[in-house]
Amino acid sequence: MTPLDQLLALSALTVVAVWLIGNRQITGWNATILYAAQGVLLVMMAGLGYGDVQSIASSVTFQVLGHGLHWLFDGLSWFFALITIGAALLSSWFASGEWGQRYRAAGGSLRLFHTALALNVFSMLVLLASGDLLSLFIGWELVSWASFLIMALGGATATRYAMRYVTYAFTGAMAVLMALVMVYTQSGSFEFQAFKDAVPTMSAGSLWLIVLLFAAGFGVKMALIPFHLWQAKAYAETPGPGAAFLGAISSRMGLFALVVVLVQLIGVARLADLQLVFPFFSARDLLTWVAVLTLIFATFTALKQHDARRLLAWHGIGQGGYMLLGVLIADDLGSAGGLMHVFNHATYQAVLFMAVTAVIHRTGTSDLNKLGGLVTRMPLSFVAMLIGIIGLAGLPPMNGFVSKWLIYRSLIIDGSPLLFLASVIGTLGTILSVYKLIHNTFLGQLRLEHVEVEEAPSSMIWPMMILSAVVFITGYFPGLVLDWVASAQAAVGLPELVHTLGGVPSDKGGLDMIWVVSVMLIGFGIGALIFFAGGRSKRVHQLDNYAGGHFLTAETRYQYSDNFYPGLMHLIGPWYRKSFRWLERGFISTVDTLSQVMQGLYRAVHPSFYLLVVVVSALSWVVIK
Amino acid sequence: MNQLALLVALPLITAFLLPVINRVSTFAARWTGPLVLVITSAIGISFWPQLGDSAVAIELGGFRPPLGITLYADKMALLFALATSIGTLLLWPSRGEDKLRQSTLALILAGSGSGLALSGDLFNIYVFYELVAVVSYGLIAARSTAGSFAATVRYLIVSSFGAALALTGIALVYQATGTLNLAQLSQLAPTHLNNLQGLAAFVLMLIGFGVKAELFPVNTWVPEVYATAPTRISGLLAGVVSKLALLIIVRLLVLIFHQPEALTVMLVLGILGVVTGELAAWRARDFNRMIAFSSIGQLGIMFIAFSIPGEAGVFAGLAVALHHLVVKPAMFLLAERWQGSLANLAGAARTSPLGAALFILLALSLIGVPPLPGFWAKLLVMINLVAQENSLYMLGAWVIMGGAALEANYLFRVASSFYHRTDEQTPPAAHRPGDLATASLLGAGLVASAFLIMPLADEIEGVASQAADKNHYVQTVNPEQLP
Amino acid sequence: MLDTGLVLYSAAFGLILIGIAGIVLSAHLVRIIFGVALLEAGANLLLLLATWREGASAPIIVAGRVPEFMADPVPQALVLTAIVIGVGILALALSLALRVQRAYGTLDMHEVRQRMEQEIADQAGIDMPASSHAPAAVQAARQEGSA
Repeated sequence: MTPLDQLLALSALTVVAVWLIGNRQITGWNATILYAAQGVLLVMMAGLGYGDVQSIASSVTFQVLGHGLHWLFDGLSWFFALITIGAALLSSWFASGEWGQRYRAAGGSLRLFHTALALNVFSMLVLLASGDLLSLFIGWELVSWASFLIMALGGATATRYAMRYVTYAFTGAMAVLMALVMVYTQSGSFEFQAFKDAVPTMSAGSLWLIVLLFAAGFGVKMALIPFHLWQAKAYAETPGPGAAFLGAISSRMGLFALVVVLVQLIGVARLADLQLVFPFFSARDLLTWVAVLTLIFATFTALKQHDARRLLAWHGIGQGGYMLLGVLIADDLGSAGGLMHVFNHATYQAVLFMAVTAVIHRTGTSDLNKLGGLVTRMPLSFVAMLIGIIGLAGLPPMNGFVSKWLIYRSLIIDGSPLLFLASVIGTLGTILSVYKLIHNTFLGQLRLEHVEVEEAPSSMIWPMMILSAVVFITGYFPGLVLDWVASAQAAVGLPELVHTLGGVPSDKGGLDMIWVVSVMLIGFGIGALIFFAGGRSKRVHQLDNYAGGHFLTAETRYQYSDNFYPGLMHLIGPWYRKSFRWLERGFISTVDTLSQVMQGLYRAVHPSFYLLVVVVSALSWVVIK
Repeated sequence: MNQLALLVALPLITAFLLPVINRVSTFAARWTGPLVLVITSAIGISFWPQLGDSAVAIELGGFRPPLGITLYADKMALLFALATSIGTLLLWPSRGEDKLRQSTLALILAGSGSGLALSGDLFNIYVFYELVAVVSYGLIAARSTAGSFAATVRYLIVSSFGAALALTGIALVYQATGTLNLAQLSQLAPTHLNNLQGLAAFVLMLIGFGVKAELFPVNTWVPEVYATAPTRISGLLAGVVSKLALLIIVRLLVLIFHQPEALTVMLVLGILGVVTGELAAWRARDFNRMIAFSSIGQLGIMFIAFSIPGEAGVFAGLAVALHHLVVKPAMFLLAERWQGSLANLAGAARTSPLGAALFILLALSLIGVPPLPGFWAKLLVMINLVAQENSLYMLGAWVIMGGAALEANYLFRVASSFYHRTDEQTPPAAHRPGDLATASLLGAGLVASAFLIMPLADEIEGVASQAADKNHYVQTVNPEQLP
Repeated sequence: MLDTGLVLYSAAFGLILIGIAGIVLSAHLVRIIFGVALLEAGANLLLLLATWREGASAPIIVAGRVPEFMADPVPQALVLTAIVIGVGILALALSLALRVQRAYGTLDMHEVRQRMEQEIADQAGIDMPASSHAPAAVQAARQEGSA
């Protein structure tokens, strides 16, 4: 039994074990321990992550209908699997303890929740381990349906959004199947190598169609424009830790599949060669612009949200655009940035979702217009969210800065000023939006009803602090993650990034986070020293103040939360036209109308008439032929 | 060898003896039918290993064809004859006032269905086809509601129209060749039927026999009949009888009509069937008609699959047909308690958790989610369609994909409503244990075949290659030469 | 004189066409059934004509003498079977028509279809299918019409 078999078997065992243990408090703890065990097994395969081992194959193979199915892990799979199991471990830890108790008391089934989570992990591992196109598709379907299961657990509203997901996801899966079959026809087999060999001889038309079908099918999971409408609401309604898990890694499965198919098999160079009649627009350009537009649209939609979970879900969609952009640049810097962004984003998206869930757990609401000033009551959650936000915004000293730096750098080197400008606009939107999040939740004025709120329970604090530490440490020493990224790049065929523990060395100005963060820490340290030990600061109650001759009272609202950026909204407000919603509604309306037409066909008074018409037309066609 | 004829004769004789038995003992009359079907199924199953590589032809009465009637049993024919017996047994009409009449009709259905599968003579096929038709009229109207009478009479009109057209087609064939024995027609086809008359005959027979096979456009009867007939009968019609009609058309294609235009007509009608069926199902608001439209769509897929030339087409179509044979009757069994408005099904998982889980399993297999067998069948169809490199076949592939996407949506819309209930509504009643047991059996069979997909695929491929082998058929039946 | 073959074939096809016209164009159930009967008659005649040859005699051996030029007996036997099937189905169709008449009081296919649709909808507990985009006033009127 190879290490990969052991990992997959343990993962399957986790599903069964969690199901059998049932709707009890102990389920969550058991699941967490089992995920930790899976993590240990994964760490034993760490050779993949450091480039020492090329691939670890599974001993299980099948031959169905003359097609072979086999599974293996390479550097890319290992990287994604690490994120998956880490996210599952921490989400499951979060879900044990008080959150689990509250969930069960409210009528939810812990058995279903943890089984759904375990099933998600298992199916993702199967997808990551795919060794040929057919096993890729099988893994893809398993992941899609497992995601549906965990999304649908949240109640009637959640199920409605999950149904929207199913429509998008299954249509996407059919597009992928179509592309697969077309590849099979051209290359004669479902093996990766056969596809790779057949690519140079494929005609531009068929390759365009295949690329579009794969991009659409896998892009649905990543919520790329124009298939993005389902994700925000569906992820927001998933029960708390489930949302953290989904937001961290679930959409990135689409990115994994895209990297395998577009980068590893077809090759970005070939994508750049696939040009439309208008010579400046190639398939690569199309995809990079889709990525950047996803970033901008999603981020600015997040700006308008006043539900914290929806805001974070929209950001998740947007950051996916960054990852795809980085990967498509396909040089050493950009692709490293894109892949590292997967890891970084998973960490701070998870910590942010966890912080928001902790706030919901204590206050009962995630509506940003009904919160405020919780920093005094929930200081650790505040720290977690603060670190998460700095990471999401891509500012030093957190890890988000490194991946964004890499992507910006590569965009400039690649000579794409428009893309660079667009991604900077995206970052601007992110910074504005996340500030609104933290301000409305933790800063500002504490509400009367939240005066007695306690800090989040330890089962929630621990995972959040661990993730915050990861965000900070991988920001301080990005080389830790860049090792794994480099071997993932090697596995896919991209140029490997030369890096040090602190970042990227370069004559033209590299990145050394150790220096940057150390300088920041020293600076902050001196400031903190002066502030706390200087003896000149005094602790004052928030309302111990007066303005305009009046003393402040607790009942009056001084918090500025709704319509947070009026100036900006005044400028760009008219651009929010909900055009994609209109498009979706139009499409559904068309299907509805066609459906009614077909039903009318079947309610005819004289069905014999159809028979006659068809017979006559068939016979006349036959005669004419 | 000749015991195979018992598959046809025994149920027919028992059916006619049933009223007599009923006079003697009602208990005996109730159980005679299922007993006879068990016997015929056992005969069929025991015969399966004997078939091996070569098929078997039985000359009835010892007369050699073409003067005599032959029964031809290759693996595919035996498979469908078995399916008829076992299907009628599983879906035995057990509800309703007039059990004796329904039992009689069901037995005749089993006997003539087996005859339809095994028959080797064109007119014999026509007779059995009409027999199945008449029996199904009686079974559909078993509830004696006004709606069922109206649906039956509308079905009758379309079916008789089709049957008369089929008879015209048979007349054209006889006029060209002078024989109605399938093997001899196969020998004479390249010279006598490879022309306009042959093609016209095929079109007429396709549409005539296609009425039962839910071919577009003669499938307008489907939603009405499945909504008014007893659900077990609907399951029998959708699951078993439609496949028998499809089997006839496939035999005609494989043996006699090799023109590419014949395949094109089937392909176009299949595409139209998928499009109309799946789109109409999208807005269906009651359970029976939703699965009726889904059935139309699935049969459209089968027609598209069988229109692929060569052995690959037979294999792909057979895979989809066998899968549907298991799934649709199970769904109709679940429909026994879930008839009526889809809105009333909210919260059904509370009263019938196993039923809800079964429905999800069946739906997943129907839309083609791996590792369930429906996926492999669909993959086979898609690979062979795209491999044709013909734009009409590509259109078929796109249509199948679109149909699957639509199907996923409307089936899971219903499935997710099972698990959420608003408090004012009462969920539907629980399923009867008998229905649930049979449906679970079929569901278990589905899951088992998912695990055993490799040997099963090889076996079905063997069946298909034997069925697609025209020369083997002719050699086995070995007809006399006509002067 | 007219060619016998032409007359016979046009009779067969003519019957078929009249039958089809009856089925497709009639609104009354009994007329449709008559159309089916005519269609079947035409189809049977066509099958019989497959055996017809100019100047052939009946395929009967009389007093031990085999006629040299016989019509083909096989399809004649088949047509007998087909006629019997047709008669059976006709009887069944008429009895069903009788039941429909008793249940609905009408044999007009438009009415019958409407009533059947209504019955299915009522049994299922759903409304009759209506356009989802119909204005509210029209939908309300429909509700009242069916109530």
